[in-house]
Formats: sequence, C-alpha cells, structure tokens
Amino acid sequence: MDTVVRAVGLARRYKMGDAFVDALRGVDLTVARGEFVALVGPSGSGKSTVLNLIGGLDRPTSGQVWINGTELSGSDERALTRHRRQHVGFVFQSFNLLPRLTAEENVALPLMFGGVPEKERRARARALLERVGLGPRLAHRPTQLSGGEQQRVAIARALVGQPALLLADEPTGNLDTVIGAEIMSLLKELNREERLTLLVVTHDPEVAAFADRVIKLRDGQVEL
Amino acid sequence: MTLKDLAKTSLSNLGRHKVRTALSAVGVTVGILTIVTMLSLGVGVQQEVIRVFRGAGLETVRVRPVTEEQTPFTQFAEPERKVLITPALVEEMRARDDVVKVNAHIYLPRSANTFLRIGEHADEPSVTQVYVGGTPWLPSEPFAISPELIAGEELTDGAQGEIIVNASALEALGYGRAEFSDLIGQEIALVLKAPRGDVQDFTFRLVGIINAYDDFEKQNPRAYLGATGMLPLKAWWYNDPDILEREGYDALTIKAVSLNDAVQIVEQLEARNFDVESLKTILDTVNKTMVVLQTMLSSIGGLALLVASIGIANTMIMSVYERTREIGILKAVGASPGDIRLLFMAEASLIGLLGGVAGTIGGWLLGLGLNEGILAYLRWKEIPVTGTFFVVTGWLVALALVFATVVGLLAGLYPAARAARLDPLEALRYE
Repeated sequence: MDTVVRAVGLARRYKMGDAFVDALRGVDLTVARGEFVALVGPSGSGKSTVLNLIGGLDRPTSGQVWINGTELSGSDERALTRHRRQHVGFVFQSFNLLPRLTAEENVALPLMFGGVPEKERRARARALLERVGLGPRLAHRPTQLSGGEQQRVAIARALVGQPALLLADEPTGNLDTVIGAEIMSLLKELNREERLTLLVVTHDPEVAAFADRVIKLRDGQVEL
Repeated sequence: MTLKDLAKTSLSNLGRHKVRTALSAVGVTVGILTIVTMLSLGVGVQQEVIRVFRGAGLETVRVRPVTEEQTPFTQFAEPERKVLITPALVEEMRARDDVVKVNAHIYLPRSANTFLRIGEHADEPSVTQVYVGGTPWLPSEPFAISPELIAGEELTDGAQGEIIVNASALEALGYGRAEFSDLIGQEIALVLKAPRGDVQDFTFRLVGIINAYDDFEKQNPRAYLGATGMLPLKAWWYNDPDILEREGYDALTIKAVSLNDAVQIVEQLEARNFDVESLKTILDTVNKTMVVLQTMLSSIGGLALLVASIGIANTMIMSVYERTREIGILKAVGASPGDIRLLFMAEASLIGLLGGVAGTIGGWLLGLGLNEGILAYLRWKEIPVTGTFFVVTGWLVALALVFATVVGLLAGLYPAARAARLDPLEALRYE
C-alpha cells in the first residue's frame, strides 16, 4: 500500500499558564494514497492538532510523522516551509482568503512563493477555479463571494501547488447544510477523479459520511 | 519571490493605508529635504567660489621673502630677511616652461609721500601715494581685478623710465578725459618726499592710462612703475644703492601654465623655504570650512532622519500586529520566514524611498526659492553678487534617495524580523 501519511506515537503537550495540557497522547495513524479519511471527535479531542502536525504548522512534543516518506518532527523551519509549499494544501473553516486579492490572485498566491512565473500562475489559478465551478468569478474579491464560493476558492488555492495531501479543518463549519454538502461533494469528486488524498477534520457525522474511512479521536487518543 | 512580485506586493500593501504611509514618510521627507538643501548649498557655494577663484587666477603663485622672527627687542624695527627673492630666482622662474609670466614687486614703505607733476601741473597736497611694485596686470594681491587701459599701452616687462597712471591721478592734476590721449609719451615727474625733509624728482615717460576699476581706485590716484622703475625710488628712500642685493624683491608673482604646474611650483618653492601662497591653498581652506559647515547643517537633517526611522519602525510594528492573521495565512500556503521578512523590509524601504523622493524634490524647490530670495536681497542691498548658490547634482539626488531607502530599510529590520518569527498557528488564530 502506498502510504501518504504515517504517524507513530504522536503527542503534543501545550503549556497553558502554569499547567500543561496534553492535546495528543500518542496517536498512530496512516492514510493511503487516494484515500478520503475523516477525523472525527468532540471538541478538544485533538483532531485539529493532528492536522496541524501533519501539515507542518506545528511540531509534535514526541512521536514521528512521515509524509510521502519524509519525517517531519525533526525538520527545521526551512524544511517545514518547503513541506507546506510542496506537499500539503490547507482548507480552513473560516476560508482564510486575503480580502484585498481577487479570487484568481488568492489562488495564485502560493505559487508566488514557489517562484512560478506570473503567466503560469495565472493560468493554473484560472484552470483550478474553472474546475471548482468559479470560472465566471475570477476577478471577484472574497467579500463579493458567498461563503460556499469562498470555500471553493480556498480549495482551489490548496490544490494549486499540486499537493499530495489536502488537509481540511471543519471545511463546512461556517456553511449551511446545503452548501456544506455541495463542498463535500466537490471534495469527494476531486478525491475520486484526481485520486486526491484527503484528511478532513469534522465533528459532523453527515460530513464524515462522505469519507472512505473514519478515525475517531477522544481525549487525544484514537478510539478503537 | 521575484523582485517584481516583491515590489508589486509591497506597493499594494502600502496603498491600502495611503494616509498612514504618507505620514510615516513625512519624517524622511523633512530629513532628506534638510540634507539636500544643505548639501546643494554647499555644492553651489563651492562652485561659485571656484568660479571666482578661476577668474582671479588659480594658476597664480605668490612668493614673499621670509623674515626673522621678531623679538621684543626688534619688534619696532624692519624685520631682517632670511630668505631673499633674488634677481637670480626671478630669472630662474622666467626660464621655466611651465611659467607664463613672472612679476617681481618692489614696495615703498607706507610712510613714503609721493606726488605727481606734469609740466606746471602739480597737486602736492592731494595727489597721494603711488601704488608700488609690478604692473597692475599681474598684481601681488589675490582677487585684484585687471584694469582697463583707456589710453596708451601696457607697461613693458622690466621697462625703465616708463610709468602708467590711473584716470583719477590725471583728474586730480586738472586734466579732462579728452586730453588723456595727448598726454601719452609726455614726461611725468614722480616726487618723493622723505620724512627727513629731502625731496627727489624721478622723471618717467607716460606710456598708459588705466581706468579706475573699483571704488577705491576711483578715489585714489595711482601710478604704476614696475619693479625696475621702483628700484631707484627705494634705493633713494633707504639711502642704500645696493638694496636689491641685500633685501631682494619684496614680492614675486608667478603665473603658471596650469593649476597643476602652480601646485608644483608652490611645493618646490616651499621646499626652498620661501613663503608661498596660491589661491589653491586658500581654496583648500575654503573647501575644508565648507565641509565642516555642511556636516554640521546636515546633521540636523540626520537627526530628523533618526526620528523618521523611529516613525517608520512604529508604523511597521503596527502593521505586523494588524496583519498577523495574514502572515499566518501566507506561512500556511508556503511563504518562508525569509519571504515575510523581505516583504516587510521592502515596505519599510519603500516608505523611506517615498519620503526621499518627496524630500529631494522639496529640497530642490526650496533651493530654487532661497536662491531667488538671496539674489533679491543682494539686489536690494545693491551688493553686486550673482550666481547660483543651491545646486542639486545627479550624485546628490542618487545619494539622497539611497540614504532615504537605507533609513527605511534599517527602520524595517526589527518589525520584519518580528513578522518573520511569528508562529504560523498562533498567527492563524489571531483575531
């Protein structure tokens, strides 16, 4: 089996004032290439922490993560930046688009840091916006788009660097159920048609139902 | 990130807060304006000084004999001469290839009373002191203006028995301008009166009449003899026929072919212990003074720039706070700490550059205005000085812009480092 994500004994301890909080207490998980995995659990169960560790936004206190065979926990800042740039794409609950950029510019933004020429950046951004159904809305700014459209822009942005793995943290959290279902259908479609590997964090069983496999977390551990 | 992306992104970021950007740049504008104005004043005055000096003859070298140091016992006597300007030295200088003209000067003491007489025309009490020494065309004083010949010709080098007078001298004797040309070639007597009561006539032939070329000349009758003509007067005055062998000439003016030749002559004569002076040495002193002045005035601008850089740093730190979430997003999509640092440094530098451009234009306009003001004041005061006192050169503009940018860059160092260090996860959670 071709493994994209492999985590062994992943633990993360935060310092909150004088006390320590163990967000993760030794999580093992694997995600195969082309798999659509939902990470569910109540709030505080550590599911977002898992996503951040896999995405290279945070470092584990102990344990290891391999993405495409590269171990992350010992990486320096430079390697983590490269990892975020090349191997993963993020989709957030609150979209996190830059408000003064157009949809096209938002999608092209990650490529600017990768040193891709402007012409190619625009072309790839346009193609992806077409793909997520926003062809006619290229020049719109986030404030001129609905929540569902903004999340589609965010998905296009996450995919523009052709990552091995798409990480989505409550992607439907700010959307109503109908629009949320549309977004999930789009992700499912991308997963099926492009063999995109997906790891989606959610607390919503309806969202989790779109996944091939569900991993449950409780109190920082995988619930078997 | 390419340079083009960097410029585009930082310009667009600055454009979001136009008023804030402009206000932060104002400090730099004030500082650069001050510095540009001061330096342009320096450049302008320097150019003006050099222009005046060129006109006065930068190639001219002036030599004076060196006298013994005076002691309390000798302070009221004529000082003894140690290093003499001998006729041999004059000949040596005349023989040089890099010398255009040499004039030796002999002076009478200030207390000498000299009068002019032409035929029956004598004006004993009012015809005053005769100018002593060489011709007025290569005088021993710097900045003397060459006179205009209105009749006759110039005094020939080493001529004996020839004299030139100015218009005032003839007017004092009662001649009108119309009669001037008739007087050329006539005999003219120079009467020398010693304090001991002796009076001696020296007879010359009038070869030229010159115009009064300044206010002093207008009021003062003058006669010019050349060193050869002066020698008998001085010998009689001191009652010493060998005075040239004992004392040498009183001064020597050497006009070199070029400025470099003049500098060489100065060095060579200084090595032989002569008291040498050229406008070059004066010019160097003037330049040094200007540099000190410019440095002092520019430091006021420097102070303004220091304050400005604090302003820029403040703006950038505010900007980092405001854009914390944006920084988090940029890091999440693959911006490196270096990219973030570069972005904020570019913005700070651009604020500096912006202020620099405004300050340079402002300084240039202020210089133009001040120049007009100064010229108007000089005209009002009837001081006959014209020229450009504020000159903004290309290198000054380049220097100002680079300096302004560097001020912005330095001010941006800390905020940029702060932005680059932000933890992406915390930045993303920031509201």
